[in-house]
Amino acid sequence: MEKVGIVGYYQVKPETDIQMSRPEMIFYAARGALDYAGLKRDDLTTVISATNDYYDGKTISNCFTVEAGGAYLKDESKVEMDGAHAVNYGLMRCLSGHHKLALVWGASQPSTFYYSCIRVLENDPTFDRPINLLNDYTAAALGMRAYMNKFGVSVEDIAKVGVKNHKNAAKNPLAWNEAQLPDITVEDILNSEMLSNPVTKLMHALPCDGATALVLAPEGLAKKIIDDPVWITGVGLCQETYYLGDRDLSISVSMEKAAQKAYKLAGINDPRKDIDVVELFEHSAYEELVLAEALGLCEKGKGSSLSSEINGEIPINPSGGNIGAFTPCATGITRIIEAVKQIQGEAKGYQVKDANRAIAHGQIGFCAQNNIVFILEGGKR
Amino acid sequence: MVRLEYIKKQYTRTRRVHGNWYLASYQYKFNVKRINQCLEHLRKGELVGLKCRSCNTVSFPPRLICPKCLKMPDEWVHLRDTATVATFSGTYAQEAGDTEPRPYPVVAIRQDGSDTTWLANLPEGYDFFKVYVGMPLKVKWAEDKKGDFSDIEYYEPIEDPSIEMNKKEEAEK
Repeated sequence: MEKVGIVGYYQVKPETDIQMSRPEMIFYAARGALDYAGLKRDDLTTVISATNDYYDGKTISNCFTVEAGGAYLKDESKVEMDGAHAVNYGLMRCLSGHHKLALVWGASQPSTFYYSCIRVLENDPTFDRPINLLNDYTAAALGMRAYMNKFGVSVEDIAKVGVKNHKNAAKNPLAWNEAQLPDITVEDILNSEMLSNPVTKLMHALPCDGATALVLAPEGLAKKIIDDPVWITGVGLCQETYYLGDRDLSISVSMEKAAQKAYKLAGINDPRKDIDVVELFEHSAYEELVLAEALGLCEKGKGSSLSSEINGEIPINPSGGNIGAFTPCATGITRIIEAVKQIQGEAKGYQVKDANRAIAHGQIGFCAQNNIVFILEGGKR
Repeated sequence: MVRLEYIKKQYTRTRRVHGNWYLASYQYKFNVKRINQCLEHLRKGELVGLKCRSCNTVSFPPRLICPKCLKMPDEWVHLRDTATVATFSGTYAQEAGDTEPRPYPVVAIRQDGSDTTWLANLPEGYDFFKVYVGMPLKVKWAEDKKGDFSDIEYYEPIEDPSIEMNKKEEAEK
């Protein structure tokens, strides 16, 4: 695959109730990403956004964010999925040769709506919606139960993932304040409010306000813009069936297939050796284990014994991951940005030593229905 | 006066402006002709699933399309009235009449003979802490059947022979 470089990025600090309007938040993200790369708005050729009409409370919500997102008189389009899918769209446009610079941003403000109630509207209207109980954490609970039952994993093992991510988030200044818990223990997680048995509040990613943006450029141009662009060398995505009942929730087939595609493009044979750091989008703590297993980082059911701390064998989510800050629609872009920071050596406080090749992941749907995997590489090796 | 108080609230930089997005009367179309065969059986107290002829996957409730083969399954197969719990949760919700959030069981049930699961009811007030994966269930039919999925009033837990067997095995050890 021809390489596309990430030349600029910006994250608006996620907050429970951000004191900004939506366009303002998007403006800071878009402007910040352009400033990082030292570009003018005129240099952009295309703008891709990731938002959701339900979250924004209006249809075709991108027509209201044209000015803020830098899309005035530009080739603009929107992805109503995770931010990582928008990056894939921008990547394809760059690879087509018709576009030179792509600005990709994602944003949402869950403080203005009830996130878990909106997720109910995502359900199949015949069988699942009338129950009125199937939302993000009920789906996570069904998956977690299936995973625990199949592989004999204990609740404590899964809570440890929450502990790791909350501790990592405490080192990341751009994580959500309420998720930055340096002294958290397994007991704290298990004793926190029960959302949906066995999922407790602290092992689940709770939504907060935020916006992120990044700038993509084709190989030749990227080198001219900054000295050390991080390259996207592989990408793979895969969609599962909607119905939870049709899937085995204890594994993730779509993640496996997406990862295989991305590994093939990037020429990776053994992900355990070749990958230095992984940034996963996990809705709930158990999902990180399922997804890490699907990436081939360990055997199925053995995810909890993987050494995934910042100084571990394969660090997963050194930034705190999605539990550290979950900004719907923007979080996939955040995962990519965090992986870029690790490769550039700019992750102060949570830097993984000698990271040069990273996985960033985005997903959408209940129990990781649709997965997208990016392989990012620096120029050190 | 109320309005002034609202402005004075702690928000100094932004103010929440309330808006509505009316989608409550949205309609969608559902292929009734296809599912009617299943509903007719339900009225008679029988269970049928749809089997895909190319991959032999049986779905209950019947799915319109087989995702693996991209074909419309059209072979109806009879299913037993027993089922098992595939996975479950008790989700904490506060519905009308509740003073505080309480666990509502959400149970994914696999009808014996089918390859898919669906979310269905357990008996009203059943303690979800007693539910486990692999728990055997039996359909409790509604008294006057209307020919829809509410004819399956709930799934009744039945005696699980594997518990006795496990106990015996452990005793032998």
